[in-house]
Amino acid sequence: MDLSQAIRDKARELLETGAVKCVIGYETGTDGINARPAFIYEAAEVDRLIFDETCGHNLATYLLHHRAENIAVVVKPCDSRAINLLHGEHQIERDKVYIIGVVCPGVVGRQWGVKGRQLLPACQACTDRNPVVYDYLVGEPVAEGAPAPAPPLPEVEDLERMPPEERCQFWRREFERCIRCYACRQACPGCQCTECFVERLEPEWVGIRIDAPQNWMWHTIRAFHLAGRCIECQACRRACPVDIRLDLLNHKLAWEVAQLFNFRPGMTAEALFPLATFVRDEKLGVGEWASS
Amino acid sequence: MSYQPRIIGFLCNWCSYAGADMAGTSRMSYPPNIRIIRVPCTGRLDPLFVAKAFQEGADGVLVAGCHPGDCHYAEGNYHARRRYALLHLLLEFLGIEPERIRLEWVSASEGKRFTQLVTDFTEQVARLGPCQAVGGQS
Amino acid sequence: MARIGVFICHCGSNIAGTVDIPRVVAEAQKLPMVVHAEDNEYTCSEVGQRSLREAIQEHRLNRVVIGACSPRMHENTFRNTVASAGLNPYLLEMANLREHASWVHGDQREAATVKAIDLIRAAVAKVARAQPLFARQIGVTKRALVIGGGIAGIQCALDIANAGFEVVLVERTPSIGGRMAQLDKTFPTLDCSACILTPKMVEVGQHPRIRLLTYAEVKEVRGFVGNFEADILQKARHVDHDKCLGCGICWQKCPARAPSEFDMGVGQRTAIYIPFAQAVPGKPVIDREHCRYQQYLEWQRAGAEGKKPPECRICEKLCPVGAIDWEQRDEMITEEFGAIVVATGYKTFDHSVYGEYGGGRYPDVITSLQLERLMSASGPTLGEVTRPSDGQPPKTVVFISCVGSRDDSVGRPYCSKVCCMYLAKQSIMLKEHDPEVQSYIFYIDIRAGGKNYEEFVRRAQEEAGTVYIRGRVSKTYPEKGKLIVWGEDSLMGRPVQIAADLVVLATGIEPSEGAIELAQTLHISYDVHSFLVEAHPKLRPVETMTDGVFLAGTAMGPMDIPDSVAQGSAAAAKVCGLLSKDTLALEPMVANVNAVKCVGCLLCQQVCPFKAIDTETLRDGRIVVRINEGLCKGCGLCVSACRPGAMNLRGFSNEQLLAQVKALTR
Ligand SMILES: Cc1cc2nc3c(=O)[nH]c(=O)nc-3n(C[C@H](O)[C@H](O)[C@H](O)COP(=O)(O)OP(=O)(O)OC[C@H]3O[C@@H](n4cnc5c(N)ncnc54)[C@H](O)[C@@H]3O)c2cc1C
Ligand code: SF4
Ligand code: SF4
Ligand code: SF4
Ligand code: FES
Repeated sequence: MDLSQAIRDKARELLETGAVKCVIGYETGTDGINARPAFIYEAAEVDRLIFDETCGHNLATYLLHHRAENIAVVVKPCDSRAINLLHGEHQIERDKVYIIGVVCPGVVGRQWGVKGRQLLPACQACTDRNPVVYDYLVGEPVAEGAPAPAPPLPEVEDLERMPPEERCQFWRREFERCIRCYACRQACPGCQCTECFVERLEPEWVGIRIDAPQNWMWHTIRAFHLAGRCIECQACRRACPVDIRLDLLNHKLAWEVAQLFNFRPGMTAEALFPLATFVRDEKLGVGEWASS
Repeated sequence: MSYQPRIIGFLCNWCSYAGADMAGTSRMSYPPNIRIIRVPCTGRLDPLFVAKAFQEGADGVLVAGCHPGDCHYAEGNYHARRRYALLHLLLEFLGIEPERIRLEWVSASEGKRFTQLVTDFTEQVARLGPCQAVGGQS
Repeated sequence: MARIGVFICHCGSNIAGTVDIPRVVAEAQKLPMVVHAEDNEYTCSEVGQRSLREAIQEHRLNRVVIGACSPRMHENTFRNTVASAGLNPYLLEMANLREHASWVHGDQREAATVKAIDLIRAAVAKVARAQPLFARQIGVTKRALVIGGGIAGIQCALDIANAGFEVVLVERTPSIGGRMAQLDKTFPTLDCSACILTPKMVEVGQHPRIRLLTYAEVKEVRGFVGNFEADILQKARHVDHDKCLGCGICWQKCPARAPSEFDMGVGQRTAIYIPFAQAVPGKPVIDREHCRYQQYLEWQRAGAEGKKPPECRICEKLCPVGAIDWEQRDEMITEEFGAIVVATGYKTFDHSVYGEYGGGRYPDVITSLQLERLMSASGPTLGEVTRPSDGQPPKTVVFISCVGSRDDSVGRPYCSKVCCMYLAKQSIMLKEHDPEVQSYIFYIDIRAGGKNYEEFVRRAQEEAGTVYIRGRVSKTYPEKGKLIVWGEDSLMGRPVQIAADLVVLATGIEPSEGAIELAQTLHISYDVHSFLVEAHPKLRPVETMTDGVFLAGTAMGPMDIPDSVAQGSAAAAKVCGLLSKDTLALEPMVANVNAVKCVGCLLCQQVCPFKAIDTETLRDGRIVVRINEGLCKGCGLCVSACRPGAMNLRGFSNEQLLAQVKALTR
């Protein structure tokens, strides 16, 4: 069956039976490349819902704003990991959320310097086709091996090979462009703080000035706060109006967390965050100075 | 040595700060660049303080605590070990040479080791020169 | 508005000899919010402290920085001084100009001076953000809980009770006494174990300030030092101990039999029983599993199919006071305590992994504790040592030491400490029982460190003629009514073969069943072998990392009776010290939560080593965390885990640390 139709049917049923108050899904966007989020409250409206390769947004983020009522949400595999993340961090009550999982073919999106519609690079590399958690599955599950972390992006490896000065030049050029609109933060399901450190005057982690050092601090803290938590849905990168390569920063840390702790966030709601625990005699081979 | 690196040392109160005191009481001597901040435990220190120190202009940061197993709070340094591994990788990826950051275990009796450590680290950071990774001063 | 005063100490020439004090004072004066700066010859001296007090008053200072020695040295001194001048003691910060500047940079006046100025600047920045802190006073429940009624727990309970405090002693089995009650004689003096133990047991049973709960277990403990609350499960005994006279008619007549735990399975007991003749309390319990009437009830509950078991109830019929109570149920008792001592003792290693010794397969291979029971005059054989297989007295006995000790391959790398000594003891005792007995001991090393211990081993060799063979045993097998023990004499470098009548395994010591669960509810740590861990192996041997919880005896590692008793008394002294206070001051430098910022992710709760973080639901339904200030130790792990910045640490706040970083990188 057509994916969109399957979602509509399910949405209608959920709304008509009163099982949920709202279904968060996608509807056709205005630019032809990005579908936009749709909040459907009436069964009569369900025909607005679609699903195709333009459905990039991670809708799980909106659950943070709808904590009180029963909600259904359409999620792709990476978004479904965000749901586990939010569940594991006690940000949503699982029984209030009805998850419509979609088997994902990968999505396109507005891409800088790329003409027309093309799968996002992250989607090209992605091996997770099936949602990790759902109440209702749309599409035929793809046979796949144990879900594995995507291999390090070639661009990340390129950066790693550079001498430090070049690497910091690269990031300076990136961070310089940041206008600190915080669209990346708003799009991120992992950013749940009621008050973000970046907007706090005391303690002042990041100065209010928009310049190289302050931007560096903002991006360093943002990345670290998401280390071991980022599910690499690309929402931040997609949201950024000046195309800063947040995906590389996130991917680097996600890769290292997978290597060091054999951990991928959001695969289950129960798995323990690696920074919430430790192993007494572990040798991580990094951080601890091995001089003596 | 004309260039004087700026080094911040975060030392846990129970072992490493006492180790630094021990270096003093034994009248040992090490380069004066390091500025020590006392924290209750390496686990107290959000690694982002280290990042902040670099952003504010530090050229090197030392974090020292009790040896694994000896943390006054039993587990603080085990958590620190994981957190600093990630911070290290992040800062390195952002272009800060990993040699500018050290997480070390120094006990209250290791005044000599502390002296040696600070001496080595200061020389190491001095060789690297000023830290340029963060970009111009604000 | 902060009004900060800065006081720079010369420390004689210790600081002034290197650091340019006038320059530091001049620079301090320029710092924001500093309204007064001065230097003193010795700030900690009477004169210096007076000057400090006067300056606080004269300049209406509300924050103080002292540039002197290490805060580890004099922070408390100066806190008291500023407090005596009416200032909150936590509005003080020290800059360590001596240990961290003058003493380590003695030959670099300029660099040391610059550093001193920096350190003062950081201290000023930090103190400007300091908040007054108040040590909260909490009451102390003047009652102690002692868990485990072995010799360590008994000694501890008696010492506490004799000092005038109430004690509840909880013992899991039907009687106190522990392992010591099972022993025949004790090394190195060979006094009879029961003779020295039972008077203490009786004293416990009769002590007006000791409430003895046997056949009971501690299930859950909440709260913190001075204010614990424990749920204690009193298992149903089916005997009303208030009525029971302990006359013994019931256990003499009970027809049901079960292997006796107390006799380590070499003897039997009835279903209604006291574990041994001198048990305290001397009143029985009914073991539901073996009681015939209970089996009958079970058969009924299961649908009354198959053969009907006898309804028995003989005990009920014979009891002169009607103490048998079939209706009794397990009961949860909740009580409050100010302090807790864990003295849960040990059990012995399960030797079945050593197939080569033949334990479990051949009846005449027994453990050392079983031998204690066979040697005991009140044991199943009334002190006649006989072979389990044929009841004959053994003439050749082989002892194998380190069964489950000092052996990495079975996960027991540690020494069980008492075995070398009790093997010597047992060989001496066997000789005394029967001069024809010849004992052989296979050993790795003989460990006899202790008063008169080495002499005792010598006595076994010289007087009892015990033959010590250094080496391991490689196999044991029965042949013509004997057990053939093959071993190696590693000193002679040759194999040995002994035809033994009895083989005794010196099984090692390991923590009692349930030690980990207990440790977890008490929030105390245990090592890889599940022995409980003391706060400091040398300086705080009977304390734990959780205030108010203490340890005694073999629960924390192998030790003999004198050490267990010493620890029981040591723990009692600690408990009395605690209970003698009417109130306790809680450490004020602890974590605190800003509930507005908390998003309830509970990461802090996961990292807190002291389980000091609870959750609460706000009126708007949000779940946030709350600090239990009685448990929080102020480590700050939660603070650095909290992304939203909701958690902070008093005295080392994020604001303060950030201000220090900025002041030092300027
Ligand atoms: C074969 C043998 C011979 C020995 N001979 C000697 C000797 O001659 N001289 C000598 O000095 N030492 C000897 N020892 C060592 C001696 O037995 C111990 O040092 C001593 O018994 C330790 O006392 P304890 O109170 O620490 O532990 P235990 O005697 O084990 O007492 C612990 C008590 O706690 C109870 N308990 C356990 N868990 C719980 C719980 N969760 N809740 C409530 N109660 C609980 C147990 O039932 C027990 O009653 C010998 C040991 C062995 C194995
Ligand atoms: S979206 Fe882009 S510009 Fe906006 S804050 Fe994030 S990185 Fe900076
Ligand atoms: S870590 Fe911070 S936000 Fe999360 S529950 Fe704890 S105090 Fe609240
Ligand atoms: S400061 Fe340490 S002890 Fe206190 S609540 Fe936080 S993690 Fe627990
Ligand atoms: S107290 Fe030193 S590292 Fe925790």
